[in-house]
Amino acid sequence: MLLNALNTPLSRTLLIFSLMCLVIALLAILLAPLLIPIIISFALYAVLEPIAEIFERHGLSRNAASLSVLLILVTLAALSVSLLLPHLSSQLSSLQSQLPIVWQSITEMGNDISLQIVSSLGIAIDSNGITQHFFEQANTWGKSALIEASNILINVSILLVLVPIFTFFLVRDYRAFRNHLLDMLPNSVFEQTWLIYHRVAHQLQEYIRGIMIQSIIMSIITTIGFYAIGLDSPFLLGLIAGMLNLIPYVGPLMAMVLPVLLALGHVPIELWLVGSAIMVILIAQIIDNVFVIPSVIANAVNLHPLVVITGILIFGNLFGFIGMVVAIPVISTANIIYNGLHQSIKTRHSLKKHNLAESV
Amino acid sequence: MSSQHPLWHNLFRRKVDRISEVTEMWMETPLFEKISKRECRELVKTMHPRQYKKGEMVFNSGDIGASIVLIRNGAIEIKAAEKLLAELFAGDFFGEVALIIDEPRTADAMATEDSELIFFLRSDLEEWVKRSPKSGAQFMLNIATVLAARLRHTNILLSLQSN
Repeated sequence: MLLNALNTPLSRTLLIFSLMCLVIALLAILLAPLLIPIIISFALYAVLEPIAEIFERHGLSRNAASLSVLLILVTLAALSVSLLLPHLSSQLSSLQSQLPIVWQSITEMGNDISLQIVSSLGIAIDSNGITQHFFEQANTWGKSALIEASNILINVSILLVLVPIFTFFLVRDYRAFRNHLLDMLPNSVFEQTWLIYHRVAHQLQEYIRGIMIQSIIMSIITTIGFYAIGLDSPFLLGLIAGMLNLIPYVGPLMAMVLPVLLALGHVPIELWLVGSAIMVILIAQIIDNVFVIPSVIANAVNLHPLVVITGILIFGNLFGFIGMVVAIPVISTANIIYNGLHQSIKTRHSLKKHNLAESV
Repeated sequence: MSSQHPLWHNLFRRKVDRISEVTEMWMETPLFEKISKRECRELVKTMHPRQYKKGEMVFNSGDIGASIVLIRNGAIEIKAAEKLLAELFAGDFFGEVALIIDEPRTADAMATEDSELIFFLRSDLEEWVKRSPKSGAQFMLNIATVLAARLRHTNILLSLQSN
């Protein structure tokens, strides 16, 4: 009975798929300290591989092409750090000095609103309690953000060493390594596995390239917008908005929080500035949804919005910011692998049944 | 004796390696007509050689195909509904429809001798077309010609059968 149940295509697909997930999860646990540099290196590989190909087409060897690509990467990184870092740090320190004023003006605004409600409706609201609760919450978030930031600083130095090395070897050897690994497969599954691999690789490359371009475009639009409305630290806010845009659906909402808080921090409160900050994000989102996503990301992932949001929340809860960013590629990869496996097992199952029927 | 001893080797004779041999084989097929040998050789480097035992299935009808196959050595039998369609030998190729469409195979292919087959995957073809659009277009035209010739041949056979 149990054996019969295990013999259906669906149960066999589920069994093989679960085993694969288990192996991948074990590998992820084993490689946990290196997971972030590996993910970043793969993302860079997806972007840099076409450039290495162009170099190769112009007569460079794979070694020379990989080295050239690495040099471009390091030069660009060094240039952007030397150009942007002083600007970024000055904006960061001005943001730090502004935060107490922001909290104070929010408290005052809360008190004003509660006084107005008391005078007009006669209902007493404990605004101090609400703001206190808000501050405590903000304090907890702030502390965890600070801890995460200090962790990031420690990790950044490791990343600066590991990522270029990983990326160089990926650009140089990944294809040969992949071919060697896939050529070790038995004849019966060789073509199918290649097909599934190609679909996954193609979709991931399209998604990573798309989302990086989208993030840069969003950073530029929001920076220009924040600068135009006169908000402080426009460059830093634009950069954060662009980075948060890596998280579908949830990211744009998160991107609104800091500019709105900063706009609220102006003394006296300028409501038009708050409205303008929200408008900048909304306009950027409209441009993103109407022009950028259809032309850049298009059908890179074909998932239901509910699956996307649930996935982001679960991955975010488990792995933090990085989890939220990698949620979509991971879910869409699992989706392709499952469908490819199921299709292949179903075909073989029906073929076996057909052969059996013919032999009877 | 002399051929086994390195001292007696002709130092100036070109060593025929697998890539050169497979390139020559592909160049003799209509698929690489008007395409340079250099490009073909580069493409051959991305192809996948695989060994099959006598009686082993290469693919079954209904399997999703992803490549065209060249026989480097050995022999392959193509069957559909238990009817023998073709017997193929070294230098012949089969499964070209899978290079164009993502559809199930329409026939069974089985090795009738120990064989070495060279798989040219659709994914590698797509990458090559992106890299070299001009040669890629020529290759597609050549495939279309081969498929049209096969269609014409099938039509003639069908009309002969109905007559």
